[in-house]
Amino acid sequence: MILSSLCVAYAGLLALALAMDRHHEQVFARRPSARTSRLLGWAGWLGLTLSLPPTVTAWGWAIGIPAWLGLLTVAAAALVLLLPHAPRAALRLGPAALLCAPFPALLG
Amino acid sequence: MKDGFRQSMAWLHSWSGLLLGWLLFAVFLTGTIAYFRQEVTVWMQPELHGSIPDAGTAERAVERMSQLAPDAAQWTIALPGERSPAVSVSWRPADAKPNDRAALKRATLDAGTGAVLEPRETAGGNFLYRFHFELYGMPREIARWIVGIATMAMLVAIVSGIITHRRIFKDLFTFRPEKAALRSWMDGHVAAAVLALPFHLMITYSGLLLFMTMLMPWAVDLAYDGNRQAYFAESGFRRAPPPPRPAPQAAPLTPVAPLLAEADRRWADRGGVGSLTVTNPGRANATIELRPAESDSIGRGAATERLLFDGVTGRAQEVPAADPQPAAMATGNYLMGLHLARFAGPGMRWLFFVSGVAGTVMVGSGLIFWVVKRRSQRGRADTWGNGPEPFGHRLADRLNIGVVAGLPLAVAAYFWANRLLPAGLGERAGWEIEVFFLAWAAALLHAPLRPSRRGWAEQLWAGAALFALLPVLNLATAPGHLGNSLPAGNWLLAGFDLTALAVGLLLGFAARKVGRNAFAGKTVPAPVLPAGAVVEEPT
Amino acid sequence: MTTLPSRLRFGPDGLRRLDVASRSLAGIVGGYALAAVAAMFLALALPMPRAEAVYTATMMSFAIHAGAFVWAFSVRTRRVWPGLLGPTLLLGGGTWLLHGLQSGAPS
Repeated sequence: MILSSLCVAYAGLLALALAMDRHHEQVFARRPSARTSRLLGWAGWLGLTLSLPPTVTAWGWAIGIPAWLGLLTVAAAALVLLLPHAPRAALRLGPAALLCAPFPALLG
Repeated sequence: MKDGFRQSMAWLHSWSGLLLGWLLFAVFLTGTIAYFRQEVTVWMQPELHGSIPDAGTAERAVERMSQLAPDAAQWTIALPGERSPAVSVSWRPADAKPNDRAALKRATLDAGTGAVLEPRETAGGNFLYRFHFELYGMPREIARWIVGIATMAMLVAIVSGIITHRRIFKDLFTFRPEKAALRSWMDGHVAAAVLALPFHLMITYSGLLLFMTMLMPWAVDLAYDGNRQAYFAESGFRRAPPPPRPAPQAAPLTPVAPLLAEADRRWADRGGVGSLTVTNPGRANATIELRPAESDSIGRGAATERLLFDGVTGRAQEVPAADPQPAAMATGNYLMGLHLARFAGPGMRWLFFVSGVAGTVMVGSGLIFWVVKRRSQRGRADTWGNGPEPFGHRLADRLNIGVVAGLPLAVAAYFWANRLLPAGLGERAGWEIEVFFLAWAAALLHAPLRPSRRGWAEQLWAGAALFALLPVLNLATAPGHLGNSLPAGNWLLAGFDLTALAVGLLLGFAARKVGRNAFAGKTVPAPVLPAGAVVEEPT
Repeated sequence: MTTLPSRLRFGPDGLRRLDVASRSLAGIVGGYALAAVAAMFLALALPMPRAEAVYTATMMSFAIHAGAFVWAFSVRTRRVWPGLLGPTLLLGGGTWLLHGLQSGAPS
């Protein structure tokens, strides 16, 4: 459960970062169009929202919310460290994380 | 006008952060390790590493207790779990006063055999835990006030820092290690602060709440005419359970296995049974109380779910319902419960640990940034202050070395002392702590004797070596080394060794960067800033 | 009297040092005094059972202290002390009144 949430949170944060000019350039070496930027922003917020339910179903609200915030910290830290050093890897990790997200939930 | 406001906030942020920053760094670092204080203590007691729990552990422990303390008023048996391989037991002699904690007798049992173990004397993770809010070697109340004042400075630094930085979401993912020193330190500081901001706010405010009656006694003393005990009683804290009253008739204790089986089924997702409390063992009115390993409620003082059984018939009894907490106490207890994280299972515990590391990095990078910024203000592209430097900047830099690089070194030295001091040494726990402070004092003395860059590099290398070699030390001095712990899936011990190795590698990475002068910025000289300018990049 | 930052700059300006010292004192001592008095006042004034009111008031007092501290560094020099002492005295008077009323009233 915790891993599902982490994967979705990472993908969401990545989309949010790519919606910003500075980080879009870091990865694609060009600025995003206004439309792309807006879509990425929505996708990002959707990802963040979707990363909450797994923690809450696993732990309840009282522990689920702090756990979710902690997972966001971990996912964002990974993204922040990857973006300047390996922007391509940061990008590829996004879809990979989304693909992996359902498995921990199915396992337990 | 607007910029003036932000500049004074920047000023407040840098000074409230700097003056208590060294203490805050120590509090954050030791507090972060304290999230794993049980695990640290287990690592520091190799005599426990051979203890392997099995299905009969709990029964064996109960049987052993009936030999060790047949006449005790109460037994408490903490079963092994993910945080400890051995059984910790304590008992209250029949003649002890009800609330006298000092009268409790303690022992550690081997989970596989039930034998009483004699682990080496050590303060273990508890020393680091206590240090993070009571320091060491000074009256407890004074130390708590000092830490409380530092915590308030932290809160002021967080609020003024948020106002100063303003563009929190815009810069959320920004880290530019390739840029000039000034900018990359700034990025690192902001990232560590912002990415774990909810944690930092929670840990700081709840830190104040944990001392609230000491720091802010005025409301209590006014409303209760100075009678704090009346306040504690009325607000539902420290309500002592009624003392055990053993019945005169003896009666054999019911077999615990069926009770444990029922509880384990019920708490399958909570790590099963964590502890048993047997009250009036061997008497007609004996009771057995079971608690789960992982609590589902965070709040301090909140009632955890438990099961109560008649100790003679084994019949389930009704658990008296805890009074619901009023909203105010529930809120405060929730925050303090998060701070202490006693409820946390392994996954949550790691999240708290990582957030604590972020806090430590935030304070450390802030301290370093203070010096780096002043060096660049003096128009030097070189970060190391090799030329003439004002005494205050020099002092801050050398304190940074002795604390930011020196304290990890001292923590590592503490772990080394644990294994190198003879196991039977008298006052052994005290000697381990002595080594910690000697190593730290050496680091603080070493720093002013060396040029800045060399001082950083040497202490970081020393810390890196001490941490990275801890798994080797463990291999040489204890059976629970990686070669055994990994194949056995013993994540408690393997986790300590692997974390030490990772910390060593990180410190080594930092030392190498310092050695290559990478932090000074390669080609881009640090911008020369007017005094008092707010560091911020134009958008 | 201009805004704060020009006074906070490093320099040989003695007045600036005095200003910073005064604000720091106001933030530390004045802020604590305000928080303490506010806690006492709220403990008596909040419409809750006594223990809850005391708990809530004490819990809030730390935010009040931090807020007052930051405030002391954000306004013009001449407003710092009056701005902290005024509410402190006012709340102190209110506390005195409430305490007199509550301990005088037969309950």
